[in-house]
Amino acid sequence: MVPITYYLLLAAALFCMGMFGVLVRRNALVVFMSVELMLNAANLTFVSFARMRGDDLGHVSAFFVIAVAAAEAAIGLAIVIAVFRSRGSVLLEDLRTMKH
Amino acid sequence: MNLPNLSLADFLPLLPAIIMVVGASILLLSEVFLSTTASRAYQAVLTVVTAVAAGAMALTTMFEPPQEVMLGFGVLDPFSSFLTFVVCVGLTLATLSSVSFLRKRGAERGEFYALMLFASAGMSLLAMSNELITLFVNIEVLSLSTYALTSYLRRGTRPSEAGFKYFILGAFSSALLLYGAALLYGATGTTHLTAMAGPLSTAISSQPGLVYAGIILVIAGFAFKVAAVPFHMWTPDVYEGAPTPVTALMSAGVKAAAFAAMVRVFFMVGKGVDPQMLLGLFSVLAFLTMVAGNLLAIPQRNVKRMLAYSSIAHAGYLLVGVAALFVTGPGEQFRLLGASALTGGTPLDLARAEALRGILYYLLAYTFSAVGAFAIVSVLERREDEEKGTAWDLERFSGLAQRKPGWAFAMAAFMLSLGGIPPTIGFMSKLLIFQAAVDAGLIGLTIVGVLSSAVGIYYYLRVVVYMFMRPVPEGAQALEKSWSTELALVLSTAAVVILGIIPGPIMGWLEQASSIFGQ
Repeated sequence: MVPITYYLLLAAALFCMGMFGVLVRRNALVVFMSVELMLNAANLTFVSFARMRGDDLGHVSAFFVIAVAAAEAAIGLAIVIAVFRSRGSVLLEDLRTMKH
Repeated sequence: MNLPNLSLADFLPLLPAIIMVVGASILLLSEVFLSTTASRAYQAVLTVVTAVAAGAMALTTMFEPPQEVMLGFGVLDPFSSFLTFVVCVGLTLATLSSVSFLRKRGAERGEFYALMLFASAGMSLLAMSNELITLFVNIEVLSLSTYALTSYLRRGTRPSEAGFKYFILGAFSSALLLYGAALLYGATGTTHLTAMAGPLSTAISSQPGLVYAGIILVIAGFAFKVAAVPFHMWTPDVYEGAPTPVTALMSAGVKAAAFAAMVRVFFMVGKGVDPQMLLGLFSVLAFLTMVAGNLLAIPQRNVKRMLAYSSIAHAGYLLVGVAALFVTGPGEQFRLLGASALTGGTPLDLARAEALRGILYYLLAYTFSAVGAFAIVSVLERREDEEKGTAWDLERFSGLAQRKPGWAFAMAAFMLSLGGIPPTIGFMSKLLIFQAAVDAGLIGLTIVGVLSSAVGIYYYLRVVVYMFMRPVPEGAQALEKSWSTELALVLSTAAVVILGIIPGPIMGWLEQASSIFGQ
């Protein structure tokens, strides 16, 4: 059996990849996918710890997170479409109407 | 696995949120049966009635002892009731000011108010959440509604841009918070905040890395939500691009609910870990937020953007109050400056209760002042200017005292209140927060706070100067009147001035609200 620690390390790696993606990628859709990756990393962590402790709470939490992530995807994609309709591009460098 | 037994009594404490959700559902359903030309005036009325009913409901539970809700996943205490009340106040005022805003843009639709109500229900439940996953779900309920509201106006490039920035950074911060929660769950085996303190104190020695990473991630997640520096960069763009009434709700309600959740989480976490660490982290955040928020607001000529930076600065003052919760204590003989009205408990309990009272009063004060100020911004802006950078320029306020003396007076009251000048509610609330900080021994942080709020007075008074001392610009168009905005302005101006002079009644409630965490 694969030790639980490996799952936790995988989750941590996924989380870092997601964070990195949000911070450096320039395409709105890729950034959005990176956020989803972070949420799933958290899910994997919840489930691994639940398995390690023989506890249901972590499993239940993961289901809640999945439901929330689905709702978030609906709103997020709607906003991306609104952005695309208003300027014909989903690249972050084009989102510069407002200046500091 | 046993299914939980829930009775009607479990749902009663959720009534304010249930009322708001029912109101939102009625709005959504009734919208389906309306023709495009039908009058939609009832929608704002229904929203205000719902908000007032929910706020009144929250007030009735204010004086009851704390009780667990839904098997301990939530808790109903004076703290959460007061927060719900603050949210309902913000919602009422924001709704009143959105009526004419939407009518001018031909954007009156039921889903706008329904989303406002859903967001507020999420805020109310967030203040009650006592478990990390419940907390996460409620944060998302309020965030998803506000993302949609931010990009509600589909014409023009600003709303969608603001909505997108808000969405990405909001989802990012939620993910940080969630991962932090997962790590804390791994370290303690529970997500219930009350059950967490015990296991945390053992986990901190056996798995310090897990606990510290979890705490830091949760703090970072909340810091995004309350717009603390260095996690503030989304705030100015989102506040500027969102429809002004939505900005008002965001600055008041979202901030209040996020602070409530943050206080609840870290008060419980602070029982398990060394409070000195939390004190240090929150002091640094408070310092950066106060200084950067005020300094960045100074060069802004765009009043809406200036108010966004000012909201960052105000988050900084609130963080001073949060930091004061984690003091390990004034000695027995220490005389507390601000605890005169509070009784019972050790000096340490009193100092904490005082900090909590400061935070709550500040949230109420900020709600009245900021929502009022945004209401003025929304009546002065014109739809056709929105794509131009000058839509919210200071020039808009030139000579307002001659054109609309009432509005100018109200705006002056809000600006003085935000700047913390007596006799306004903003002064009282700053006094309470800084008093609590001094009693907690955070002298350095208090000095920084007072100095930076003195800097802040400059950009608040500049608006007043423009209104009262500049001539009316040539070719200024007539300003439209709207009874609902006037009502919102009268209510918030009255609250700002009256509660600044006689804070008595609210202070009485707050002794209730702040005593619960003292034990």
